[in-house]
Amino acid sequence: MSWLNQRVDDRLVHGQVVVAWGAALRFARLYVVDDPSAASPWERDLLVAAAPDVEVRVLTVAEAAAAWAAERDARGGAMLVLRDLRAARTLVEAGAAVPAFTLGGLHHAPGKTKIADYIYLDEADREDARALLRRGVRLEVQDVPATRPQGLAVLDPSVAP
Amino acid sequence: MSRVPALLVTHADLGAALLRAAEQIYGPVAEVEFLSNSELSRDDLEEAIERRVARWEHGGLVLTDFPGGSCQQCGMLATREHADVLVVTGVNLPALLDYLHNREQLSVAALAEHLLTRARDSVRVQRAHPE
Repeated sequence: MSWLNQRVDDRLVHGQVVVAWGAALRFARLYVVDDPSAASPWERDLLVAAAPDVEVRVLTVAEAAAAWAAERDARGGAMLVLRDLRAARTLVEAGAAVPAFTLGGLHHAPGKTKIADYIYLDEADREDARALLRRGVRLEVQDVPATRPQGLAVLDPSVAP
Repeated sequence: MSRVPALLVTHADLGAALLRAAEQIYGPVAEVEFLSNSELSRDDLEEAIERRVARWEHGGLVLTDFPGGSCQQCGMLATREHADVLVVTGVNLPALLDYLHNREQLSVAALAEHLLTRARDSVRVQRAHPE
């Protein structure tokens, strides 16, 4: 099993991912699963340059679903990051057997309520979370490795299926 | 030559703190904006930067704290349509002071190169005791 962590983070690749999680997990490949970024060669290059010590693969959600099983059996470790719970749900519903997602950063936006300092959800997010939990996917809230992961349903009982 | 404007984009309150530190050395600083990435998504930080650089008539510098971070990446995303704006990342106090001393003498591109050199040269290992 090469997959080490699957992260939901609306900043995609940034310091917490590259520096903190990179040091803790020592992953060799970083999958950035994001349809808008995958559609732009310029944005793909920007993401690749942001993590110079690992191989960065920028894929659409559909491409990542197709690549999930092969990566699971590959050598070395891999981390995956996508920008929201809708992309996470779509990835799983497209066939990727993702056991868990770490919610690492879903920042404030109009209509969203605070779950943790760095996690804000609206009703659409909650519905996506419920759909994932109903499928048996674990959802935990954790920004950096040094903090303790907490179950999303503990912090926000309204998402419990 | 007109003054080159700058926007500091950093984690937490580093930008504000850098400016306060620079003022203790340089004196009062006018016309340098700062922006924290705290509580901002990638899209919102990009928009916040773009809104500010769009006001610059003749370009300027976006100064960010470290390469690969959200501030640097959003700086790049926000300025891709602004050919006269450059992003300098890894900015430290010597670089900020260099910017303040030269922002009315140099062009945007020349100033970026100048403070890049100053930032690099300022990181040193020094030994105050014999080996």
